[in-house]
Amino acid sequence: MYQDYYSSDAEMAGKLLDIARRKKVEAEVFVMRSRELSIEVIDGQVDTFIEAEASGLGIRVINDGRLGFAYSSDFSQPALQKLLDDAVTMAKYTTQSEHNRLPQNAQTYPELAVFDNNISHVSVEEKIELARHMERTARAYDSRVTVIERAGYEDGEVSQLIMNTRGINAFARGNYCGGYLFLVAEQDGDAQNGFSVSLKKSYADLEPEAIATEAASKAVRSLKARVIPSARIPCLLDPYVMTRFLGMIAQMVDAEAVQKGKSLFAGAIGQQVASASFNLVDDGLYADGIASFPFDGEGVASQTTSLIEKGQLKGYLYDTYTASSDGTDSTGNGQRGSFRGLPSVGTTNFMLLPGEKSRQNLCSDIDYGFYITEVMGMHTANPISGDFSVGAAGFIIRQGQEAEPVRGVTIAGNITELLKDIDAIGNDVRFFGGKAAPTVRIRSLSIGGE
Amino acid sequence: MIEKDLLEKVLNLALEKGGDFAEIYVEEKINNSIICENNNVEKVNTGREKGAGIRVVNNGNTAYVYTNDLSEDGLLKAASVVSRAGRAGVTRGTVLLVGPSGPDNEITRRTVPLVTLRMPEDVPIDDKVQAVLDANKAARQIGEEIKQVTVAVADNHKKVLIANSEGELVEDERVRVRLAVNAVAARQNMIQTGYESAGGMTGWELFDQVNPEDLAEKAANLAVKMLDARPAPAGSMPVVMSAQAGGTMVHEACGHGLEADLVQKGLSVYKGKMGEMVAAKGVTVIDDATLPGKFGSYRFDDEGVAAQRTVLIDNGQLVGYMYDRITAAKDGVSPTGNGRRESYQHKPIPRMSNTAIAPGTDDPDEIIKSTEQGLLVKRMGGGQVNTTNGDFVFEVQEGYVIEAGEVKYAVRGATLIGNGPEALNNIDRVGNDQGFAIGTCGKDGQGVPVADAQPTIRIKRLTVGGTSVAGPTIKSIRRR
Repeated sequence: MYQDYYSSDAEMAGKLLDIARRKKVEAEVFVMRSRELSIEVIDGQVDTFIEAEASGLGIRVINDGRLGFAYSSDFSQPALQKLLDDAVTMAKYTTQSEHNRLPQNAQTYPELAVFDNNISHVSVEEKIELARHMERTARAYDSRVTVIERAGYEDGEVSQLIMNTRGINAFARGNYCGGYLFLVAEQDGDAQNGFSVSLKKSYADLEPEAIATEAASKAVRSLKARVIPSARIPCLLDPYVMTRFLGMIAQMVDAEAVQKGKSLFAGAIGQQVASASFNLVDDGLYADGIASFPFDGEGVASQTTSLIEKGQLKGYLYDTYTASSDGTDSTGNGQRGSFRGLPSVGTTNFMLLPGEKSRQNLCSDIDYGFYITEVMGMHTANPISGDFSVGAAGFIIRQGQEAEPVRGVTIAGNITELLKDIDAIGNDVRFFGGKAAPTVRIRSLSIGGE
Repeated sequence: MIEKDLLEKVLNLALEKGGDFAEIYVEEKINNSIICENNNVEKVNTGREKGAGIRVVNNGNTAYVYTNDLSEDGLLKAASVVSRAGRAGVTRGTVLLVGPSGPDNEITRRTVPLVTLRMPEDVPIDDKVQAVLDANKAARQIGEEIKQVTVAVADNHKKVLIANSEGELVEDERVRVRLAVNAVAARQNMIQTGYESAGGMTGWELFDQVNPEDLAEKAANLAVKMLDARPAPAGSMPVVMSAQAGGTMVHEACGHGLEADLVQKGLSVYKGKMGEMVAAKGVTVIDDATLPGKFGSYRFDDEGVAAQRTVLIDNGQLVGYMYDRITAAKDGVSPTGNGRRESYQHKPIPRMSNTAIAPGTDDPDEIIKSTEQGLLVKRMGGGQVNTTNGDFVFEVQEGYVIEAGEVKYAVRGATLIGNGPEALNNIDRVGNDQGFAIGTCGKDGQGVPVADAQPTIRIKRLTVGGTSVAGPTIKSIRRR
């Protein structure tokens, strides 16, 4: 569908840029068109079926170093004219900065396989069946699986066109698909949740049975969980939990946060900020990464950026504005979630690289510890102060073995201490959305319980 | 926005291949925002968006289509797509809209119209920028340790039209204004933050009641205060939550669990407990979308049902759930006006509006004085709940240790974790005051504006998650 729009969108954007040039302002037109399909099955029935298309555009204007932005979902001629006028008007009110600039057309975009034709060719019936199959598999896994909250399949397609008055002309489209399952297991009046979510670039990579089994086993093995006494003990963070912590770290390596004094990593380049086993990269080119795309939201080519090597802070993530402020180049991290906002620093595929030990190995060295498989309220962790205090659930580790389930406790600390307290990193790296991590072992962490 | 004839055509086409209910929701909105950071007015943004969502409900199952194309062709194409998806039902005949359409119809007349004294789009941008700059200045005047201040003001004006196969047609307008200040204070290697926000279903007159500079000073003072705070204790203890702390606790501990979709799916710890005591005597919980000007208020929900006040827990007894149309039909009750959606891109689901614990009779100061030892929460942050088992957590933004009935030192980095029914049963004091806080509540990937409130209350025991652990420290990891 998007190829149909490309030539008309590019023509429309070109005309807007011509008008901008006549107004003697720099401008950028960002057009995003998306399509979504979402299927949720409960008890074999399609509970919710969503099929939709949406599109819109945003115009960024820079007038004498002042930034203006306006967006619209209306592609009619009068609306487009008003949109550009609005963006120019907004630029009257913002503070002037020499760093407000648009990227130049000196980009070479990588060839990336970010579109899988299979996703749109597979029939809706087959996709519904995939969701049903997950539900059946989960129910068959254990009779204690009593409620399927939702068994879902979804896919999405997005195209982005970016053109600016400095000659950037970028167009690409990508798609993804995914399966998810949320369920409840019950026994003797106790109810526990289990879930699994998996997003893939290719339809062939979807593993409905693995999703079902993971969700069901999570719920069943958590039954009869209880609170443990408060203590400081060694902990294993499961890959999912570690990716949630990577969310905090992503904001600490964001050059905007650094420049504004909102990152504990400010001024720490070259310093040891994590244990020597810690290697962190942002890789917009990673073949299987859900966040791979040839360019960022400003039309700057994607790249691989090493952030932490052997525990040493190597760099930050930049968009064009923050790069200009630091006198460096954008790392291709000017991200845009929709047409409704300006680009700002964001991650692509944000990956903690694997170590050598298996999870079992990491576990077997612990006499008494806590294997954390769930965190709750992670959005309340403060990436600026680094303080976190969140709900946690998982399992006690006794004599190197996973023992009884735990819930209703908190883990608390500061991210900078946690990073230095990492004792070993597993080899079992997994992706959750655009973030990937293996199991990580922490020497000791504060547990709030009884 | 759209002619009645076309709406009827769309609804009829949507039901062509069968279905129990069809609805079209049309929205047109303007969003404006101004952000000041680093002493610069960094962003002045404006945006316009319009779109429609059409759904067909068949045996409780929903097919939903949305589009930005509000032309006749665009809407009919969407209706045709949704009719295909909603197949395999009982075919119904033509459904005609009845009654006078538009703002004069009977349902519309029953509710209080939105009164906005100053529409945000009528306020000169210069005035808005000045308010933001004044707040920035006020926060920075608090002291040298304030290293960064972010002030954001946002307003949105949304016009909606909802028509359905029951013949109902509702048109409405919503105007919301919100101000948020985040202050960052630093000392040596420590950074702390303070956050304050205010907002309402109101025009710019919000700032007749809320002074942006006062709000900014509060945020900055909190950030500086937290630099001196000690690590929060960890463990189980009595917790006093002050009225000004806001109502995140009630929102998480019982609000979500009383949303009918979760109850019906068997995902709520409150399922099958209607009529039972689920909280201590003296605890009354109300969801009320009709409160004038509050952030979670509205005149109609996003299914065109008139907003109402719904008592959920009456003096400890569970008396009501929050319903949208689908869940109400399933339970054979009337919808409670809680069917909300983030935008035309989302289907409506049961959501809270303004949720509050009603004030009691105790003197708030006396509640603290009578507490031998525990934690005083003066400001809550975000939270999360697992409705299935009732476990909830929420963040303490401003907390103090209570010793011998006196408020001692500030603590940082605390989270409270508990279980909904257990915590509500453990409320042993209910103050005669009440305070509100605002937020954006997330559920199923949809964010909607809400407010919550509570009086000063005391919970006999709750687990506090801090870093100051009384228990043993074990650091043994054997090497191989």
